Amino acid sequence: MNQSTREILSCHHVGFAVDAPGGRLQILEDITLDLNAGETLAIVGASGSGKTTLLGLLAGLELPTSGDIRLTDADLKSLDEDQRATLRRRQVGFVFQSFHLLPSLTALENVMLALEIAGFDNVRDRATQALTRVGLDHRLDHYPRQMSGGEQQRVAIARAFAGNPAILFADEPTGNLDRRTGQSIADLLFELNRDHDTALVLVTHDLELARRCNHIEEIVDGRLVQKAVTG
Amino acid sequence: MNPISLSFRLLTRQGRSGALVMLAAGLIVATAALGAVSLFTDRVGRALEREAGEALAADLIVAGRERLPREFFEQAEDFGLATGEIILMSTAVFVGEESQLIDVKGVGGGYPLRGQLRLSADLDGTDEAVAHLPERGTAWLEPRGLRALDAEIGDSTELGYSELTIDRAVLFEPDRGGSRFMLAPRMMVHIDDLLESELLGPGARARYRLLVAGSESAVDEFTRWVEPRLDDNQNLITVADAEDQTGMALTQAQRFLGVAALTAVILAAVAILLSAMRFSLAQRDLVALLKAFGAQGGSIMTAMSLMLLWLVLVSIVIGGTAGLVAQELIARTLADAPGSDLPPVRFGPLAGAGVFTLLLAAGFALPPLLNLRGVPPMRILNRSLDTRIGISRLLWLLPVGAALAIPVMQLGDTRLALIVLGASAGLAGSLALFGWLAMLASGRLARRARAAWRFGLAGLQRRRGAGIVQVTALGLGLMALLLLVIVRAEMLEQWRTSLPADAPDHFLVNIQPDQASAVEQRLSEAGVVNLQMRPMANANLVAINGERPPDDRMAGQVNVSWIDELPPANEIVAGEFFTAGASGEISLAAMWAERLGAGLGDELTFESGARRFSATVTSIREVDWNSFNVNFFILLTPDAGEFLPHQKIASFHLGDADSGLLREISRSWPNISVIDIGVIIERITEIIERVSQAAQVVFFFTLLAGLVVLLAALEATRDERRREAALIRTLGADNRMVLRGLLVEYSTMALIAAALATAGAGITGWFLATELFEFRYQPSLWLFTAGFVASAVLIVGSGWLGNRSVLRTPPVRILRTGS
Repeated sequence: MNQSTREILSCHHVGFAVDAPGGRLQILEDITLDLNAGETLAIVGASGSGKTTLLGLLAGLELPTSGDIRLTDADLKSLDEDQRATLRRRQVGFVFQSFHLLPSLTALENVMLALEIAGFDNVRDRATQALTRVGLDHRLDHYPRQMSGGEQQRVAIARAFAGNPAILFADEPTGNLDRRTGQSIADLLFELNRDHDTALVLVTHDLELARRCNHIEEIVDGRLVQKAVTG
Repeated sequence: MNPISLSFRLLTRQGRSGALVMLAAGLIVATAALGAVSLFTDRVGRALEREAGEALAADLIVAGRERLPREFFEQAEDFGLATGEIILMSTAVFVGEESQLIDVKGVGGGYPLRGQLRLSADLDGTDEAVAHLPERGTAWLEPRGLRALDAEIGDSTELGYSELTIDRAVLFEPDRGGSRFMLAPRMMVHIDDLLESELLGPGARARYRLLVAGSESAVDEFTRWVEPRLDDNQNLITVADAEDQTGMALTQAQRFLGVAALTAVILAAVAILLSAMRFSLAQRDLVALLKAFGAQGGSIMTAMSLMLLWLVLVSIVIGGTAGLVAQELIARTLADAPGSDLPPVRFGPLAGAGVFTLLLAAGFALPPLLNLRGVPPMRILNRSLDTRIGISRLLWLLPVGAALAIPVMQLGDTRLALIVLGASAGLAGSLALFGWLAMLASGRLARRARAAWRFGLAGLQRRRGAGIVQVTALGLGLMALLLLVIVRAEMLEQWRTSLPADAPDHFLVNIQPDQASAVEQRLSEAGVVNLQMRPMANANLVAINGERPPDDRMAGQVNVSWIDELPPANEIVAGEFFTAGASGEISLAAMWAERLGAGLGDELTFESGARRFSATVTSIREVDWNSFNVNFFILLTPDAGEFLPHQKIASFHLGDADSGLLREISRSWPNISVIDIGVIIERITEIIERVSQAAQVVFFFTLLAGLVVLLAALEATRDERRREAALIRTLGADNRMVLRGLLVEYSTMALIAAALATAGAGITGWFLATELFEFRYQPSLWLFTAGFVASAVLIVGSGWLGNRSVLRTPPVRILRTGS
């Protein structure tokens, strides 16, 4: 695919610090990485190493205190919060460890809401297709509380892919699931990543899951210490 | 670990948490509502107590509808009793061109026999106690009478044929009783001046009283002597009777305000429960941590209970202060001017309100806090091990018991308390039911909506339980206020306009037969409309079909009239109205006939003076009393006029036509009393207005309590809202969309609450109008506008207040929160 060389995410000398009672606390320092369309990247590291913060910065949920991040050709630093939200609508998908579905909406409505926020037409058809794709066509009108953890995460994945984003951020997507379910969710993620040619950034503790990505970055004390290309 | 210092630390460190503030707000509103009502009723109660034994200005009264025989006076004096006499009547009094309906009291003999009058030489002067009568030719007028007539001390006034100078302001009379807030202003004159005014015809409906006072045995002796000599129109009034009556008025006022306070207390209790549950939930980590560090469950519970106690004490002080202000507002609204004769505030009842609040806290806030005892220390390691313990059944009995104890104690009447509780539960239940249906409908709507609408309506669905509590609470408070402020005013206005345009607005009573044609002519010249002049005589009903009539205040002495055709605003419902030239027939008003058990064909026997006559009932009439025409229960055939001593009574519509006419009539024929219906209606309207204003003060607390429920529920769901807002912002929604979603959620809630409140107020008003006042009330657009605007301002406003932090939630938070 000719698109696969297109750069989706680039991050140069990014740092993030917060003011704490004991003085300034450097959480991330000098992070540089790039990702092309269709590629997959795993960020691994110990708890508190700064993985989740990095994910938040890459997705434009927060701004770095130093360095630059470009997401689908947009310089995040030059965008205000609402402009970054607009960027996320069409280009970015999310999958969270604890699913984060709205409990008062059915599976279908949860997916539709994300599509409506992104401003798509025919949201019902698109959402139905996305849920059918993840094998939940028989659960469209079920509420999150009526579904298993694995099923809820499938809804979340359908929500993330329904809008055909350029890049998907997944924060410990299998963290709350048992091993077998986790395995099948991971399979689904990579399958959709291939089908949609979506770049995937994965934060995980699970090295086995990480090894399925094209790149692995490990963070220790806020710095990238090891780069690996797994093929 | 010292539980006392821990409790202080908990209070000061958690004091800024919203849940604790809401808990305090609920406690404050409950204290203020109860405090205001009990402080006020205590003051009125003490005012009555202070006057106990003086409520009659005598030890015993013989009351009658005619002047009491001299024999009664002489006999009382023979028994060694002091005597006095009073005559009470209402009439229009003129000073210059101003006129005002006045309660005139002619006093004679040794009045007042018990207690003292308090008078003042001018409006702002200090009062002096006196125990003597007004001089001949002088009048004492109540300050509000002076204000209404725009008169000053020294001005002269006319009372029928008597010319009087206003000499003093009367500030207090012992026998005014519990109606101190209600009646027309008082004018006190010497009894001879009233007798010479020639105003005391039967139409004046004057009440005559003989007052006696002395030793207990002499009063008993006189009672035994006088009792068998009383006729049907005379009765004895004892001090106990008078106190019962004022006591009853007080009890009714107390109940009315108590009921108003009760709704506030119930809503405040809901707010207390909601915020205590939220607070206890937020404390679980802390408790687990303390336990993990080795603190014992018992001392943690002690600290929690003490913290609640401190919070309650602070709330009682603040709520008590608010109650103090509110009771003064109630007293000033009900009385005419500040400093009218209520005794100063006593703080005792506040202690009572404080105990109520403590009970409320113990019932509603303590169980959720004590529930923390069950938090396992293991929670600190693994939250999933924390089974959420419901409040145990036994503990739930406590709030239910407290909730039931409060109205019973406040109202002092178990049955009424249960009725009120049942009725408010029914009302709240139906509001909640309609709220639930509306929420259901909004859920259906959500399925068709998009983006912000879907998010907003889904939020409403998600918190449906809390939402129903919120709209019910606010709907109740709003409904009470709408009913008191708007529906009441509209009902009065619509009742007034429901009267025919030419409905009589003035009555002339005590027209002597030889004055009738001149008066009629003068009225016609002045262009009055709908003039009717009817004869009126007094007669005693002595028998129905030869048997003594039942004991009823409508029997005994009755007013009768005669006419040869059916008067306007009367409709025959049984029999046939007598034809011209008929004699010995009688037509009865349906209401009177039903009450006395008389029907067609019955023979009624009357006595008037030395004469006895009988007539047969040949028709029953339905009378439209709202027509304001001169109407009589008993109509005779015209031949009765030949032998019954009588006077005439006129009714007419004057409108704005000739304001000098009344003045001229009372000058030309001083014996004629002018009764201005407009003034009476105005006075009644004013009384209703005052009572409802006083109730508004209390219902304001109900609305406040509803608001606290709303804010407490907002507080309880804030974390959830933050999470949801962060989620949809992560998905790409901008601030505007989140704001729109919240606006949709709160506007829908406001819409439902407003619909419930306006419909509730409108239906209640319609029901009252049709059932009690017999006219059709039509709620105006204004009711709905006011209801919807108030609801929108309150709910959307507090939604905005409660959700500021939600709007500020950064999306990155979604990565850091669990499910």
